[in-house]
Formats: sequence, C-alpha cells, structure tokens
Amino acid sequence: MRRDKKKQRKGSGYGNKLSLFQKPEVRFKKNCPLSIKNAPAVDYKNIKLIRRYISDTGKILPSRITSVSQNKQRQLATAIKRAKILGLV
Amino acid sequence: MAFYEHTFIGKQDLSNKEVDNLVNKYSEIINKSGKILKTEKWGLLNLATKIKKNRKGIFVHFKFETEKDKTVKEVEEKLTVDNNIIRYLTVKYDKLDLKKEYFAQTTK
Repeated sequence: MRRDKKKQRKGSGYGNKLSLFQKPEVRFKKNCPLSIKNAPAVDYKNIKLIRRYISDTGKILPSRITSVSQNKQRQLATAIKRAKILGLV
Repeated sequence: MAFYEHTFIGKQDLSNKEVDNLVNKYSEIINKSGKILKTEKWGLLNLATKIKKNRKGIFVHFKFETEKDKTVKEVEEKLTVDNNIIRYLTVKYDKLDLKKEYFAQTTK
C-alpha cells in the first residue's frame, strides 16, 4: 500500500487540473486572483493571461478550480471565446 | 458616441504593399462617419487552428469611434466579400484603453 501511495505522488495525476481524484490535502486559494489591486485587465488580446485559464485541450477551466470570482469568470469566458474566434488561443 | 475595436486577419502571402492598401481602404470607409484613434499592425502570427486552410495570418487592429452602427455593418459586409481576409472581429466598448499594446514586440 505504501508503495502505491508513493507512486501516485510521483505521477502527474494531481498535476492535471481537471482530475476528479484530487487530494483533499491540496488547498486552493480562496481569494480571486483577478480582483486584487493592480490585477491585469481581462481582455481577449491578453493571451498570456487567458492561457492560464484554459486547459490543454482548450476548454475553459471552471472557477471552482481557478477560484476566480463570478464577475471575472464571466468576463474571462467572453474574452476566451473572442480570442478563439481570432485563432489566438 | 460608441467606441469600437476591430481586428481582421489577412492571408499570410500578402505583401507589405497589399496590406497597406487594405488598411487604407478600410480606414477610408471608417473615416467617412467616424474617427480612427489608432491602428496597430500585429504582423504575422501563428493561428491556433487551421482557419480556411491557413496556418498563419497577418493581423491588423483598428480602434475607432462612430455614432452610427451603419459604418460597422458596411465594413463587415465588405470584409466578408474580400478574398484576402480570413476572419474579422468587432467589439464594442464604453471606454478604450489606447496605451496598452499586447502585441508590440511582434510588430518589429
């Protein structure tokens, strides 16, 4: 059993943000990273920012994983969709 | 008054002259009943996915203000017919941020 646990830790299973079997020990930030002072503006031209909030396959990550506030999540969603239209992301 | 941001993607094999012609052509249409505040050329960028069998595209970005929605419609109608253009996007804003350029490095 012990060995198995060690293996799991080494594997990249937890690194995947969309994994359902996330450790309960892993805690997420409670505060929204986009609502702080001097936070970057959510915009479809800001590709660096947008890349952080989509999965490898191009899906929009849910706010329960990224801990983005509701308002900012809505802005993000439209920004991501616009960037996809232009083929930037 | 309403502010708009407009971006279109030209085909990658366009020469510099042809791109300039395109910019002049559409800025004239906008200038008829509006005012261009800024034009940016983002240059040749890779597309994330194939769009109309193209892997790369030349990006041109306008920031302008008009009172009528007609001008936007007119520009878009002409863009759809244009063979040199892959895709376009128009976004309406209440305020425009003119200082920030996210693609400033690529336009060398």
